[in-house]
Amino acid sequence: MNSPTFSKTRFAMGLATTAMIAMLLASCASTPQSPPGAADVRAKLIRLQSDTNLASHAPIEIREAEAAVRLAEIPVPKDPDLGAYRVYMADYKVEIAEAKAATRYAEDQRIALSEAREQARLRARTLEANRAQDQADLARSDATRARNEADAARASEAYAAADAARQAELARDEAERARNAADDAERARNAADDAERARMASEEARAMAAADAERAREASEQARAMAAADADREKAELQRQIDLLQAKTTERGLVLTLGNVLFATGRADLNAGGTDSLNKLVAFLNQYPDRNIMIEGHTDNVGSDASNLALSERRAGSVHSYLLQQGVGSQRISSSGLGESQPIADNDTDAGRQQNRRVEIIIDNPR
Amino acid sequence: MPNTSRPQAGFRFIAGLGLAGIALFLAACATVPDAPLAALAEARVAINTAEKDNAAHYASPDLTEARQRLAQADRAVASEDMIEADRLAHQSRIAAELASARTEAAKAQEVNDELVKSANALDEEMRRAGDRP
Repeated sequence: MNSPTFSKTRFAMGLATTAMIAMLLASCASTPQSPPGAADVRAKLIRLQSDTNLASHAPIEIREAEAAVRLAEIPVPKDPDLGAYRVYMADYKVEIAEAKAATRYAEDQRIALSEAREQARLRARTLEANRAQDQADLARSDATRARNEADAARASEAYAAADAARQAELARDEAERARNAADDAERARNAADDAERARMASEEARAMAAADAERAREASEQARAMAAADADREKAELQRQIDLLQAKTTERGLVLTLGNVLFATGRADLNAGGTDSLNKLVAFLNQYPDRNIMIEGHTDNVGSDASNLALSERRAGSVHSYLLQQGVGSQRISSSGLGESQPIADNDTDAGRQQNRRVEIIIDNPR
Repeated sequence: MPNTSRPQAGFRFIAGLGLAGIALFLAACATVPDAPLAALAEARVAINTAEKDNAAHYASPDLTEARQRLAQADRAVASEDMIEADRLAHQSRIAAELASARTEAAKAQEVNDELVKSANALDEEMRRAGDRP
């Protein structure tokens, strides 16, 4: 009783197993296809999942996409529209996951980029600061150099001054020595018994003396030149004065002829208006005190010789006394009358006679 | 008279059956599946959001896709293909969401590009300044 029951049960189990295997085999044999496009979406998802930059940034979205892809992969041979719909949705979920991952990745990178930019800014500022520092250093070193140069210039000026002072001292010493040497030489020349020393000293002295002589010559040259210049100047001045007097230069000296303006015919007293040229003469004599004068009176040939001589003497005398009156020293003046003996023009005409009535003042050349 | 009433009663019965049939038919018509109003509304919201984010500039093809799917969904509702309408509404919504996601990604990339550019500009400026001390 037990046995048949047992065997019946075993039979049932065996039957079931066989059926199951048969079903499994059947299902294997006609494996239904996933909807078209599902494989592409899977490939896209795998690409996203293996992108190390993106995968970690959208784990939730990728999980949702994964679920959608799995759903899309389920074969629905009886409803191709449903299959296409699921593939579409899965595709978009993968795309969305990728876009979100990209967004977050960019945001992550932004931190690093901001840091990079801050670093760039910092570098720029550091560089600027360094450059400013360099410039400051440069300016400072310039200033230092300028100061050193100024110091050096000052020092060299001082040195130059000291040097000049030393040179002056040296020159003074040398001059002193030269003077002493000259004295020595002089003594040596006088002392016949000390010839050796004298020669040596005189050698030196000669050199000095030569220099001195040279200097002296130069000085005298200069003095001469100066004297010449002075003489020239004096000569020019004299000439000017002479011109002023309207005197003529002759071998006797300067001759100043005072015409008949001074005197009326037959008279010996000076006309009041005719003293101008005499006053000029006085000024000339004051300026050249080493010059003496001689006054000569002359007449025309009208009247006797004796009266003309006397008239000429009187005329010379009145000029003489006028000059004495004006303060010219009496020892510088001599006067004489020459009558009609030395006419300077023809006595036959009035104009000639007028020229002959005259007083001549001869100014000596200086002694 | 009552004779005439019998056949009349029979006719009434038949007419009643006919009316019941029409009513049944009408009832059957009335039980057509409801329009996927929620899914359509969600699609519209998603499209609006994408438009506000300026997806027209950054992800124009995806936004166009979303609009087209929504229009198709509306047409499916009109032709009472509610299953199709529901799927199209979902597709419209997800396309709009992709448009938003891509817009965000593009904007983020723009910000980064700007950062890179300004950092490069600084470096460049510095390099040029370094050339002429």
